[in-house]
Amino acid sequence: MPSSTPSTSFFSGGLRLRDGILRGWTAAVLVFLYVPIVVLVVYSFNASRLNVRWTGFTLGWYREVWSNAPLLRAAQNSLIIALLTTVISVILGTTGAWLLFRYRFRGGRAIRTLAAVPMVMPEILMGISLLVFFASVGMPLGFTTVVIGHVTFSFPFVWLAVQARLQGLDPALEEAALDLGATPWRAFCYVILPGLRPAIVAGGLMAFTLSWDELIVTFFTASAASATLPIRIFGMAKVGLNPMLNALSVLFVLATTAAVIFSAHLRKISR
Amino acid sequence: MHLRTCVIVPLLALVTALPARAAEELNLFGWSEYVPQTVLDGFTKATGIKVNFETYSSNEELLSKLVAGAGNYDVIQPSDYAAEVMIRQKLLAPIEPAKLPHLKNLDADMLRRPHDPEGRFTVPYMSGTVGIVVNTEKVKTPVKAYRDVFAPRFKDRLVVLNDSRELVTWALYTQGAPINTINAAALAKARPVIADWVKLVKVFDSDSPKTALLNGDVDVGIVWSGEAAILWNTDKKFAYTIPAEGAHQFIDVLAIPASAKHKDAAHKLIDYILQPEVSKLISDAFPYTNPNREARKLLSAEALANPASYPPPGAKLETFRDIGRAAADIDRLVTDLKSAR
Amino acid sequence: MDALPATGAGAASPTAADARRAGWRAWLLLTPVVGWLVLFVVVPTAVLFVYSLCERDELGRVVFTFSLESYGRVFDTVYVRIFARSIGYAAFTTVACLIIGFPVAYVIGRATEAWRQRLLLLVMVPFWTSFLIRTYAWITILKQEGLLNGLLQLVSLSAQPFDLLYTPFAVSIGLIYAYLPFMILPIYGSVEKIDGSVIEAAHDLGAGPWRVFSAVILPLSMPGIAAGTLLVFVPAIAMFAITDLLGGARVPLIGNVIQNQFLQARDWPFGAALGMVFMALFVVTYWLLLRFGREEEVA
Repeated sequence: MPSSTPSTSFFSGGLRLRDGILRGWTAAVLVFLYVPIVVLVVYSFNASRLNVRWTGFTLGWYREVWSNAPLLRAAQNSLIIALLTTVISVILGTTGAWLLFRYRFRGGRAIRTLAAVPMVMPEILMGISLLVFFASVGMPLGFTTVVIGHVTFSFPFVWLAVQARLQGLDPALEEAALDLGATPWRAFCYVILPGLRPAIVAGGLMAFTLSWDELIVTFFTASAASATLPIRIFGMAKVGLNPMLNALSVLFVLATTAAVIFSAHLRKISR
Repeated sequence: MHLRTCVIVPLLALVTALPARAAEELNLFGWSEYVPQTVLDGFTKATGIKVNFETYSSNEELLSKLVAGAGNYDVIQPSDYAAEVMIRQKLLAPIEPAKLPHLKNLDADMLRRPHDPEGRFTVPYMSGTVGIVVNTEKVKTPVKAYRDVFAPRFKDRLVVLNDSRELVTWALYTQGAPINTINAAALAKARPVIADWVKLVKVFDSDSPKTALLNGDVDVGIVWSGEAAILWNTDKKFAYTIPAEGAHQFIDVLAIPASAKHKDAAHKLIDYILQPEVSKLISDAFPYTNPNREARKLLSAEALANPASYPPPGAKLETFRDIGRAAADIDRLVTDLKSAR
Repeated sequence: MDALPATGAGAASPTAADARRAGWRAWLLLTPVVGWLVLFVVVPTAVLFVYSLCERDELGRVVFTFSLESYGRVFDTVYVRIFARSIGYAAFTTVACLIIGFPVAYVIGRATEAWRQRLLLLVMVPFWTSFLIRTYAWITILKQEGLLNGLLQLVSLSAQPFDLLYTPFAVSIGLIYAYLPFMILPIYGSVEKIDGSVIEAAHDLGAGPWRVFSAVILPLSMPGIAAGTLLVFVPAIAMFAITDLLGGARVPLIGNVIQNQFLQARDWPFGAALGMVFMALFVVTYWLLLRFGREEEVA
């Protein structure tokens, strides 16, 4: 598989000058992506509550985050909902893309089109229609309804990412596995799935990001106990976004980065 | 994959963090950032009733969720005109005054307003106005009326609420027309005025109009008084005036939906909020106009001097009445004019 | 445009001919997917469709009386113009993200495994802070007394502060910033798959960098580009939060109009009708693309 290509340099091949330009471009784009993040990190230490001017250094906002139970609770809810959404979206999106790629279904084109509809559905329409639907079947609002809403707008992203990757995936590999006596299931697990991994990771990242930051569908499908961070943050904008929210973002970014480094480290040790 | 750890840790955290069920519960559906957490904690401490606080950020959000019948709410916090529709649609339960010994603390002026003429369904929570804020460091001449605001010299230096009904109301005021009679003739007359106005505005923002003023991107604004009060508290250069032609006053109320399951607890919460000491906490956090006469006596001199929270008496103030289907006509008009830019 | 037909069924090109007729087991596996689509996409859409054919009461909710009034209003020039403008914004966002994001996706896709993981994460982490907080950070940077103006004055490019915030410039930055990862990730998925030896072979055969790009890299990353285009363009049509916050909400987009029907104008049937037309346009286009793709491949 592609990742096994041995390489001594950063790249697997190519001209030096072109690589230099491409790397420079990538670095510039990353700087662009991180400019606002740096600003919000710096301002999380700003003593001013309205966060307009720099008035002095403080760690007070981090203390306030720690003691703000509803905010932490909302962050916890968001995390749980985003993780569940990611897992379910990846399963639905990958099976959907794979099955429709591999087999011919009656109405396959209709299913494919249908799977893309949530992407184009304005959030407010999805929110209201799901609310009406849940109310009419007597389903109480809560974590389940929020996750259902989030999965519905997230899994098309996984589906399309996986579908793009499947195109041109060498069919001979799977055939070979089947010829060698593997069951279709084993062939899928050992041949197809590893090849799809980059697309699944990319799709999962998109699903997590979409769910983590969604406001409107969440509002119409959530109850008091399942309110998420965006709901609280958008509410707080009314009295002024205070640096406490910056502090919370910084903590979250640090925590995820630490978790990733830690897991990479674990993998290295266990190898 | 690290994903596994990511799933397990928070799930464990959730399970351990689930609080023990309190004996009694109450579901409050209110504006976000309008009820301080300290008040809710104090209530739970005093009565043992746990409050589940769910928030919304517009009356229409409240209405749609309430009428869908999906959530069950015991206390809600609509604005006057939204409460008016709810009363007409029989969505509210009557208030039992016998259960509210602190009701007498309220200013009589705030009671029995047109949205609830007999005061049977609603209890005022906070009120405010929509008025003019001027950065007096940048603007030296007086700006006292809508006509002064929408002047060519302020082109691209204005922030106003991103709310079609407000915009139409201001235009009607400058023409001396009644603000609660919205019909084709009134809108046709207001149209050219608004068409000129939208060309002058730099920012339309209902959620946080103070941002553009604080950042120095605009000098004059028409904003909620609560926003203006925060601006004034930050810097005294931001002066608030009620427009001379007249202004919209809103009264946000507490009410109990007809479908509420814990009506006794709901009355307890409303009465708790009516206590002067509690009401003062709300004023401290959110500098709107407090309708609670006794609570006002507890406020600091500085809070009472804030011209946005407590404007000088004598201004012409009117509450919105529900205009029902005409809201769509207003929206179409303003959308049309804005997209013609 | 010839990129798009490759997205869907046509996508299946190399193996479409080999694709086997689905047996009961395949159908069984597909059941959860179809079930989800029916319950949470078809049913709510049907609800909206019914709403769009009704009248409204004073609360703006639907009254079940048949009326085509809402559809009559959808084709009013005001809304058609707003719709065209929204498509323009989405198209700009897509093209800008493609130009800016492709090299990044390529670099990540061609990097060594350890770097790939790190770079992917680096691209995504900024998006795990709330949209609103990120946008306010941009406001801090772009405002008149803000960081960028301060910097420009420091290097004395100008004595007067520039008007940056609430301009098309600010809106462009916001749009590109918000959608860039949705272009980078699917392209990365395609580029990662390209066999390095193919590129090297092209070089060895004397192809210049441009020729290698246009003859080898670009065609091979087409599925990713098509997916990225779809993932950015389609959601961007209904977008309005960025133009509101960074542009000052002066021009309404189709997303504003639909949202307003529910949260200001209280006209649920009209909001639903706008949404139905919007979705119908998309479904027809997408379905035609899928069909067209397949026919092309047969021919």
